Amino acid sequence: MALQPKFAEVETPFAVERALVGEHPAIVKLRALIERVAPTEVTVLITGESGTGKEVVAQAIHTLSPRSGQPFVPVNCAAIPHDLLESEMFGHERGAFTGAAGSRHGLLTTADRGTIFLDEIGEMPGALQAKLLRVLEDGVVRPVGADRGTRVNVRVIAASNVDLAAAVAKGTFREDLFYRLQVVPIVIAPVRERRSDIPLLTEHFLERVRDRTPARELAISREAMVALWSYDWPGNVRELENMIERLAIMCEDSIIDTSILPENLVASARPATAPIKVKMNNGAVNLNNLVRELEGRLINDALKQTGGNKQAAARLLGLKRTTFSAKLRRCGVIAPASLDEGREG
Amino acid sequence: MDEPNRPPQILVVDDDQDTIAILARHLEREGFVPIEANSGAQCLKLVHENEVDVILLDLMMPEMDGFQVVKALRDDPLTAEIPIIMITARDDLDARAEGMRLGVSDFLAKPVFRRQLASRVRAQLEVVATARNATDTIDRLEAARKNHAP
Repeated sequence: MALQPKFAEVETPFAVERALVGEHPAIVKLRALIERVAPTEVTVLITGESGTGKEVVAQAIHTLSPRSGQPFVPVNCAAIPHDLLESEMFGHERGAFTGAAGSRHGLLTTADRGTIFLDEIGEMPGALQAKLLRVLEDGVVRPVGADRGTRVNVRVIAASNVDLAAAVAKGTFREDLFYRLQVVPIVIAPVRERRSDIPLLTEHFLERVRDRTPARELAISREAMVALWSYDWPGNVRELENMIERLAIMCEDSIIDTSILPENLVASARPATAPIKVKMNNGAVNLNNLVRELEGRLINDALKQTGGNKQAAARLLGLKRTTFSAKLRRCGVIAPASLDEGREG
Repeated sequence: MDEPNRPPQILVVDDDQDTIAILARHLEREGFVPIEANSGAQCLKLVHENEVDVILLDLMMPEMDGFQVVKALRDDPLTAEIPIIMITARDDLDARAEGMRLGVSDFLAKPVFRRQLASRVRAQLEVVATARNATDTIDRLEAARKNHAP
């Protein structure tokens, strides 16, 4: 089976702001770094959680580089079986192994004069890491079964969703290759660290839906936006993008509201609206915890009603200021160690 | 700018001294250094007198409330990028919406649990470090370019 390399579709003019949306300082600086590193020839190592846009960054670097007219060849090292990866990357001679009926170019040769993007490089087997190091050092690619290699001119951009330094420490990734790749390290922040960009990202993806269906009006309610903002997005920008696409399909009128949001998303915005259980229901209950929960809710409500005036809130609840303060300390802000467990990993 | 080789300093802003004391203790146990402010005005003063890494801000305070503090911090270029974690009532949707609009970095709902507090503070420290490292790399590339220029 031949894996077809895909080439970058070069759009003109390319705007890095469209590819990497956000105004958080971490994203603004990331864009500046991409613009600065692109025209150089240096090797780049991109680290970011799944869905943060590592390939988008790699493509942006390629597109803004003098190599933009040449191939951009992405290779997912985790998606290709280990025993095929070497011949996919380096090519092979006829008869090099069982089934090698003819000779074939590898992806490194396909990427000649362009850029190769090695995603999930941490998954690359040790023997291949050594072979890649030699390519980085002398630019020679030797196909499987060949006596001699051929010279290629390839810019390497690698990416990992795990901390490669930790893999080096564990001994699963070659230290020399790590330093050779990490000439310029680029880290992409996960969405939960830059929540302030969620409204912008949401609007960007909604705009894309509107572009496809110009007749349709589509907006998002304030409540739904707060829910999107409060969710942790473990799948990052990709998950948010998929969610907006899904909500646009599910939404029957022109406003995306909380009623069509998945349960886990709404729950993250409102964790405490579940009713307090007041029946024994065959099992034991912890009365102290329930009382504390109820007190906490009423204290919060009273503070909300009085705009944060603690004296007035105490009066609303019929408590002395000192008693109120003690309860606030117990329910409003602190939690005993036993309640700390299992709340958030 | 170099990576600060000191423990992260967290400015805790609340008008209730008991609350400050508890949050400060949580933060200390997580290896952070708390700086205490009991009003919005004091927050705006202390933020300029200390190297503050993250601000933990109660919404409901007399005189200057949390929103006014956020606005003042965001309007000042010296403090515009300091992460602000706002502490609100659990289901206060209006407060969250307004905080989002003004540029709050994250929210914590009462009651604040120590683990949750630590993970939210660490996330903000992490993203600040990411941005700082990007700036450092840009400076390094720029220096290399100048050295190679004829």
